[in-house]
Amino acid sequence: MTDDRQDRPDNQPIDFSMVLASAVHDMKNSLGLLLNSLDSLREEHEQSLAASSRFNTVQYEAERMHNDLVQLLGIYRLGENNLSAHMEEHYVPDFLAEHLARHTPLLQGLGIQYSIDSADINGYFDEDLLTGVLNNTINNAIRYTSTRIRLSADKRDDYLVLTVEDDGEGYPEAMQQAETQTFKSLDFKTGSTSLGLFFASSVAKLHREGERTGTIKLHNGGSFGGGVFEIWLP
Amino acid sequence: MTGQAEHPDPAAFAGLSYLVIDDFDNFRNAMFQILRNCGAEKIELVASAKAAVHYCTYNHVDVVLCDYNLGAGKNGQQILEELRYRKLLKRSSLFLMVTAETSRDMVMGARENLPDGYLTKPINQAIVEKRLGNLIEQRRALLPINQAIDQENYPEAITRSLQALTLHPRYSTWLMKTLGDLYFRVGDLSHAIRIYDDVLSRRELPWARLGRSRILLAQQHYDTAIADLEQLIAANPDFMEAYDLLAEGLKHQGLTSRAQDLLLQAVSRSPHAIVRQKQLARLAEINQDPATAADAWRQVVAQGKNSIHDCSQHHLAFAQSLAELCDSAGNAEATTLASEALSVLSRMEKRFAGEPELGLRSLLAQCRVHAGAGQIQTAEELLNSVRGELEHPDTMTPDTGLDFARTLFRLGDHETAKKLLATLAELHSDKAEVLEAIENLLDEPVGFREKLQARSLNQSGIAAFEQGDLEDAAKAFRDALAVVPDHKALNLNLVQVLLKAYQQSPDKHTLLQECQGCMSRLADIPRHHRQYRRYIALQNRLKDVMP
Repeated sequence: MTDDRQDRPDNQPIDFSMVLASAVHDMKNSLGLLLNSLDSLREEHEQSLAASSRFNTVQYEAERMHNDLVQLLGIYRLGENNLSAHMEEHYVPDFLAEHLARHTPLLQGLGIQYSIDSADINGYFDEDLLTGVLNNTINNAIRYTSTRIRLSADKRDDYLVLTVEDDGEGYPEAMQQAETQTFKSLDFKTGSTSLGLFFASSVAKLHREGERTGTIKLHNGGSFGGGVFEIWLP
Repeated sequence: MTGQAEHPDPAAFAGLSYLVIDDFDNFRNAMFQILRNCGAEKIELVASAKAAVHYCTYNHVDVVLCDYNLGAGKNGQQILEELRYRKLLKRSSLFLMVTAETSRDMVMGARENLPDGYLTKPINQAIVEKRLGNLIEQRRALLPINQAIDQENYPEAITRSLQALTLHPRYSTWLMKTLGDLYFRVGDLSHAIRIYDDVLSRRELPWARLGRSRILLAQQHYDTAIADLEQLIAANPDFMEAYDLLAEGLKHQGLTSRAQDLLLQAVSRSPHAIVRQKQLARLAEINQDPATAADAWRQVVAQGKNSIHDCSQHHLAFAQSLAELCDSAGNAEATTLASEALSVLSRMEKRFAGEPELGLRSLLAQCRVHAGAGQIQTAEELLNSVRGELEHPDTMTPDTGLDFARTLFRLGDHETAKKLLATLAELHSDKAEVLEAIENLLDEPVGFREKLQARSLNQSGIAAFEQGDLEDAAKAFRDALAVVPDHKALNLNLVQVLLKAYQQSPDKHTLLQECQGCMSRLADIPRHHRQYRRYIALQNRLKDVMP
């Protein structure tokens, strides 16, 4: 861990959001270590733990907190105008497979089927930012699906569209206007879901090409008849 | 791949040798198991940077998996720098950085020597299989290119890269980046720029804009390069390499204070970059800003502790900037600064023990520190203890000689200093940069405070001149010359003002006499001096108007 503490003159006011951000940073790292140990535990005790619903809950919830913290940090940096998209070209099938890999122990533990269906294409996006969005979306799909989830990618109207689908009950009507998410419309009473969508929509907007900007779309149906999350990147 | 993990090709993992670097044995063992399960056979585990470097010195490694944070000592980035710098790790080998946090904070510091990939904790078997599997596949596909680069056979590497563009289109970004870089290395700037233009015609990508700007700078299209880089930074404020390149461009154009401001912004975003801090320190020195220079050198020295870039010059420069700060500080502050400087020097003497001239240079720096803190007697005693060295200036490196002269000036022994500089100029008459340093010292052989005073007078003189206020301009230059009478540019500035004043009132012959006085002070200006052409031009103008 890098330690950038500096002596603060006593008479300066505390910048609470910065204190919060560094606390979040610390918690996120702790959870990372915790998740690491959970993965090892699962491997060491494969017989007894693989199908344990309590163990799966522990891992799922830890993963969820980790995602929330990653997003909080992202939003903090958005507020500080410290976040910009590092556009690089990526081979999309590999990108999706690498990100699904992180979730495979949990998916297998929960008995959820998963698949990737990506066109053989390269796409331009910020890897770190999209990682945050994908992790959160996959994690949500794991929570709301019944039996399976599917990641796919294709080109539509000259946009790269990454899609996460499940066969759960789908998104409630109100959430399907997610592309208009603003920070004011965040309702913290409804939990972290809207935080995730706010983050995803902010990340999409950071992706620009000429006049076009990215966006997210939520709807129901798709190939499994459940929730469909799409992020459109120019 | 539905409902089950896709199995990697064990053969792809099997033939390679692996090195895992992590200070936690839990993690090392977990990684060992994961690699085993992937099909790897030759796996070495080490707990520290030292062990890692040692292992790479005597063994060939294909894949390094290195934790970024290894507790005390070197971090992962510093290990990578050392391995690449000492050529203990080939380009054809993979270096994966394992990080506990999103990678960007740390990557931002790095200027070169980026790892081939990142693994973000938490890590499981499936992630390693996928991520490392893909990288191994990429390594295999690009191996002929990287081998050619390792052998410094760049034309071969270029040919191979061009072939690979059609064979392996999925690596096109890597290939185009590499091609741009290779053409630049072999000096084929027009092909290099064509590569970047090709990429940019499809999409505005920061790395391609940066690469193109680097070529523009090399082609001396400074204004275009500077404008492009400014735009690039405005759109990508955390693209640190763009700051570095823009600072180079600005410095080239003599815009050193803009370059300094820019690098200050850069280090506030990303302080962990020793090369950038060093560049900032040098700019601050040029800009006569010892406070900023001292801050930057402090960072350079602190970050150098575990870096392959560390050297005694950094410590000396740091002490020097502190000594200059002492000169202009109040008593209490000067004492604090002086004690910091002395401890920097004593640590340097231990750390770099056995380096030639180190003791002498340290002692000279100590002299100036003591002088800055008002302990003139101590300073004199130290200086007297090494005066014997002046008998044979031919055995001194130019840097040490200049340091000696600076110290003599600081303690008021102008005569010995000038004599030493004259000898040095003769000894090193073929080295332009040494001669320039000698002339700069002769121009301004005064303490930092006086130098600053003269410079600020010079600036207000220029401002007054630009506003057409010739009387104020002349007065400012005269006052500055009272501080540094031999300063060449200042003398010429005054001549320029006086000639203009004479144009407006041709009856004032005293103006011309004053001009001649200035010119006579420059009579011994050497031909290679930066002000020489201006001197000749003004001398001719003066001759023309002389009655």
